[in-house]
Amino acid sequence: MFKSGRTSLRLSLQFAFLYSVLSAVIFAGAYWFSNYEVRDWLHDQMNSDREILLEIFEENGIDDLVKSVDVMARVNFENARIFQLLGPDGTVLAGNITQIDGEEQREYVSAENVFIIGEHEEEISGYWIIDEKFGQYTLVQGTGNHVIAEVLEALGISLVSGFILIMGIGSFAGVWVGRLTEQRIEAISTTMEEVAEGKLAARIPIDETSNDDLDRVSTSINNTLEKLENLMESQVQISNDIAHDLRTPLQRLRQRLEKMANQQAVDTNEAVIALAQTEDIINTFNALLRIAQIEAGDRRERFRRTDLRDLVINVYDAFEPTAEDAGQQLRLKISDQPLYVLGDSDLLMQLISNLVENALRHTPEGTIISMEASFSNGAPLLCIADTGPGIAREDREKVFRRFYRGEKSRTSGGNGLGLSLCKAIAELHYAELMVSDNQPGVRILVDFPPAAD
Amino acid sequence: MRVLIVEDDQETADYICSSLRELGHVFEHVADGKSGFLSALDSDFDVMVIDRMLPGIDGLSLVKSIRSADVATPIIFLSAMDGINDRVDGLEAGADDYLVKPFAFSELSARLTALARRPPMQAEETKLQLADLEVDLIKHTVVRAGITIQVQPREFRLLVFLMRNAERVVTRTMLLEGVWDFHFDPKTNVVETHISRLRNKIDKSFDRQLIHTVRGSGYSMHV
Repeated sequence: MFKSGRTSLRLSLQFAFLYSVLSAVIFAGAYWFSNYEVRDWLHDQMNSDREILLEIFEENGIDDLVKSVDVMARVNFENARIFQLLGPDGTVLAGNITQIDGEEQREYVSAENVFIIGEHEEEISGYWIIDEKFGQYTLVQGTGNHVIAEVLEALGISLVSGFILIMGIGSFAGVWVGRLTEQRIEAISTTMEEVAEGKLAARIPIDETSNDDLDRVSTSINNTLEKLENLMESQVQISNDIAHDLRTPLQRLRQRLEKMANQQAVDTNEAVIALAQTEDIINTFNALLRIAQIEAGDRRERFRRTDLRDLVINVYDAFEPTAEDAGQQLRLKISDQPLYVLGDSDLLMQLISNLVENALRHTPEGTIISMEASFSNGAPLLCIADTGPGIAREDREKVFRRFYRGEKSRTSGGNGLGLSLCKAIAELHYAELMVSDNQPGVRILVDFPPAAD
Repeated sequence: MRVLIVEDDQETADYICSSLRELGHVFEHVADGKSGFLSALDSDFDVMVIDRMLPGIDGLSLVKSIRSADVATPIIFLSAMDGINDRVDGLEAGADDYLVKPFAFSELSARLTALARRPPMQAEETKLQLADLEVDLIKHTVVRAGITIQVQPREFRLLVFLMRNAERVVTRTMLLEGVWDFHFDPKTNVVETHISRLRNKIDKSFDRQLIHTVRGSGYSMHV
């Protein structure tokens, strides 16, 4: 058996123990209650007997009473009811009691102290005794307690057989459930082994109809696997991207260096170009690393409250002359109130700067590029919009992919990482990055979460 | 300039040492943290170059130890770790500057010079002067040969940065960090554009050029 088997056994034992304790409590309660009720009832019976005997004594005299007591003593099942009629001098006139030892005032007397004609019924362990004066005579009545024993015996049998029955069904059910659970755990463990072997697409089968603990655990494992698979895929994607976009410039650099190595004297111009190529490779590499680092999300611990306006103004100041030189117009519109976001100001600056640079680079002369930082629906909103050629609807989501370059922008430089870096930075700040049509042009919105106080 | 280099990678160390030698600087090279600490305490350097990953005591702890031993010599961190967190960690430990590998020697050289000759902070510094160019830090005015020149706030910051580092080379990256607080490399020629505007205002109408381009390195302000 697996662990699940042990679990169901332990559960069964715990259940058995609990049931035993409960049975004991029920038994004790039943004992006390039936003892009380039965005694009451037996006393009522004795009282009724005595009333009849008293009537006989009062109407017919002592002789008829003697006969009646003898009859009643004789018409007796299992000697459970006992009688004794004593004369004024203490002589026994009738009845089946020969002698009662013990105290004078007695309510309950143990069977061994009661002597009767005939045998005590086996189950009787004691008698309730009542003395009553009939004029100068004394009537002693007693009733055995065997009814209680009978009741308790019945109760005991019910409880014990109930125990056996329940334990039987319980164990069976336990084992059955255990096996079911075991099968499902087996399925989970098989899936995990497959994953460990590298089959990241493996998923735990889930019964859609039920929604118990195991299903929920399985669902959450499946979700984790889903995420892992996506992460791994994006890792593979990154590797491919690196291979693709670094190999080509590395190849060019290598060719140049080979050429230089074969020359008699090194041409400084060649070396300067080689250096510039190296610089490009390093920049691409840094950008990739930075995206990976940001996506890992471990920078949030350094988040500080930052006024978005300061960053926007800084970026505007930096690029405004460049735009002017290129015949473009960079416009700024910012809110009067502070636009606080909780974030990394260096990265946010890079986000804003990348968006503006992107607009500058991919739009022609005469384009108006507007930067707007406002407060919208209780949260800071950044909008960078241009009046350039725009992005085709079907390409809008692709622009955030690593190394993606629109056909038109292939020639306009850049490593194709700018916007995917923007997306990573926005996600790190729980902000939403949206591309839409500016009619004409591109409008990019960065929707931040509500300001932190 | 006396430079202490704590760097365990022999090739990088050779590269830095030979370049420093060419520039006529005096240097001492050690390859591990412990020797670095002893050398730092032992002799008087103008600036120290410390690699972040070192055998024995790592660079970060080394800088902390040097600072707690009351040695105030400027320190520049070299690191293969490029993250803003790493940079902040380095500066918080007590380093004065941070340079990520791979780097160009001109970058290191410019930063070393800037650090080594950084004058003690003068609270009463209110005016900067270079030849006939005068910058008033309180009034935010720029005057050259008696003529007041109007500059934009960002141009003013750029000018002040260049003036404070007069006679030395400042790289593009140093300007991006110091003037714009950009800790990344924009693809657009932000620095060039601003320098060109500043030149138009400061140098164009005058005989002597004050802002010079240092090919392959950056800019320098001198007479």
